[in-house]
Amino acid sequence: MVYRTLPRWVWPTGGLLLAVAGAAWLLQADLAARRAAFDTDARIVHRLLSQQAAQHDAMLATLTLLQPGAATASSSPETRLAAVYPQVLQVLRRSDSETWPAPLARAEAESAALRRPVLAGADMARGQFTLVQAGTPASFALRIDAAAAVPWADWPLPRDGPVRTLLRHGDASWVLQPGAGEATGWRLLAEKRLASDSQPFTVVVTRALGIGELPWARLLLWCVAVAAAAAALTAWQRQRETARRSQELLRLGQVGRLNALGELAAGMAHEINQPLTAMLASTQAAQRLLDDTDDDGPDLATVRRALAQGAQQARRAAEVVARLRRLVQPADTAATQPLRLADTVHSVLYLLAPQVEAAGVQTELHGLDDAPAVLADPVALEQIVHNLVNNALQALAAVTADRRRLQIDAAAAGDSVRLTVRDSGPGFAPQALERAFEPFFTTREGGLGLGLSLCESLATGMGGTLAARNQAAGGAELTLTLPRAAPVAPAPA
Amino acid sequence: MNQTPLIHLVDDDPAVRDGLALLIGTVGLRVMPWAHPQAFLDGFDRDAIGAIVLDVRMPGLGGLQVLEALRAQGVDQPVVMLTGHGTVAMCRRAFKGGAAEFLEKPVDDQQLLDALQAAVRQHVRSRQHHRADREARERYAQLSPREREVLGLIVGGLTNKEIGRALALSPRTVESHRAHLFGKLGAPTLAQLILRYAQLVEDDAAPDA
Repeated sequence: MVYRTLPRWVWPTGGLLLAVAGAAWLLQADLAARRAAFDTDARIVHRLLSQQAAQHDAMLATLTLLQPGAATASSSPETRLAAVYPQVLQVLRRSDSETWPAPLARAEAESAALRRPVLAGADMARGQFTLVQAGTPASFALRIDAAAAVPWADWPLPRDGPVRTLLRHGDASWVLQPGAGEATGWRLLAEKRLASDSQPFTVVVTRALGIGELPWARLLLWCVAVAAAAAALTAWQRQRETARRSQELLRLGQVGRLNALGELAAGMAHEINQPLTAMLASTQAAQRLLDDTDDDGPDLATVRRALAQGAQQARRAAEVVARLRRLVQPADTAATQPLRLADTVHSVLYLLAPQVEAAGVQTELHGLDDAPAVLADPVALEQIVHNLVNNALQALAAVTADRRRLQIDAAAAGDSVRLTVRDSGPGFAPQALERAFEPFFTTREGGLGLGLSLCESLATGMGGTLAARNQAAGGAELTLTLPRAAPVAPAPA
Repeated sequence: MNQTPLIHLVDDDPAVRDGLALLIGTVGLRVMPWAHPQAFLDGFDRDAIGAIVLDVRMPGLGGLQVLEALRAQGVDQPVVMLTGHGTVAMCRRAFKGGAAEFLEKPVDDQQLLDALQAAVRQHVRSRQHHRADREARERYAQLSPREREVLGLIVGGLTNKEIGRALALSPRTVESHRAHLFGKLGAPTLAQLILRYAQLVEDDAAPDA
């Protein structure tokens, strides 16, 4: 089996890319939002200033139309206009008899030709300009102070905010709002001429975005989140690899054991086959020699030699078997010690808990805590109990989940203690029951047929026994009998 | 041919060697036991009639390797393989390598002896076949070109008269050639002649065609 694992650098690198991409998107979105807000503000600014310009045009048009006379000084329009409109610094009136200085006169002539107000000059440094409209009998001119014309009440931007607003006329410009100055970073800009032919000023709105205004908090939060995710995924991957590796090791170990077993079987087959071959050949040769009906009868000397060789080869085979037994037999003197069956059973059930739960097996324990201690080798005992419970679980796989019951009982029986493992599975087939403890006998697909055989050997080695039978109600019952650790307590009086 | 067939028995186990040798001897076959495969390869008589019994599992040179070496050297003795635990792959390899038989140890006497006798018979037949073949070739080589032409037409089923017409010879001349070639080829009858030489004539004519 080949496990394809992601390289370790995947999550950190992916995280880095994701962080950068996300940050770029956040910045871009932030910038877009700021630009949209800025554009809206700039549009409002342009509209408000254009309205003011239109108002100036309307004032002049009204003056020219109504021709308020210069009869009374008290009714002089400039005083009244200036009172109502703070931006009007001065109203100039020229009757037929008067003449205006050159700039005004030139503008008046132009106004007469265009039939609309005309700018007669602008002092952008001070934010003042003069509008002229020719009329009969009198022409009028307004000196406007732009600073007073700004409708701060409706202004969309804070006066001391970061946005710089100015009115440009030719090369000169008058600053409405100084803004925050030219910071490093981005610069937003909106330029538009006022919607007035008489006041050809361009509204210029700029906004400098400083490094400090970037959405640092959100960026930081995003990066931290991505880093945490990458770290979590890396850890998860590492953990999964570790789990997989240990599984692989386990599997390898099993395969290794099976291979070793196969090698052992092959070697054994050869070691035993050689004497068997010689034995068979010799004895069959002897038979043939005896059957030989030649003139001078069978060659008895050769027959004798053949039979002697056969016998010798039989002894050789027996020796091979004995050597093998010595090789694989566990030490005779098992290191027995007093043990509580309850401890062993609980430890085995703990080990097999995943299988027990997965199969939904109902487990019942009886008498384990009250049973006397047994004299056994802890490893061997655990091996036996593990095999018995494992076998029971395998048998239970053959019945429906609601009928899966596992019952483990312990009870004293004279000098011994009996541990019984019962399952509600299909039980042993009659033939299988007879051969249950036979090595290499198995009813399980792919089973080695050594489990129960080994258990019996281990039990016998510890001075105990292992018995198998079917319960009356069906299901297998395995009984392990082990010597009791403490001497039998005197019968109660 | 005048000797009893010789069975070469190659197995590193002395007991197996002795037992099998004894068994094989009971049917009147001579046995030559070999303990070492290399010694066998170096020393056995390649001309003798017989067969070879090879154990698959031997230290140093395994039976399958010996089998391959024999085939590479063009040895024609049939080989019977013996193995303690044969696998399908091993069996396939053995037959691919030209083994006549593949038997499992411990082998039953009848099975082994039948296999050996069949192998020996096969060997004898193939040797005879080879010898007859060689003899016919030698005799055929003695014919004159004209006699070969006449032989080709005889084998083709033509009568003397037809042969004379085909080769622009008088029937008497054809008759004389005919008598000569029968004598040279040592064929007592027309049927024998055709049986032994038809193939040779055909092989000879093929390159010219």
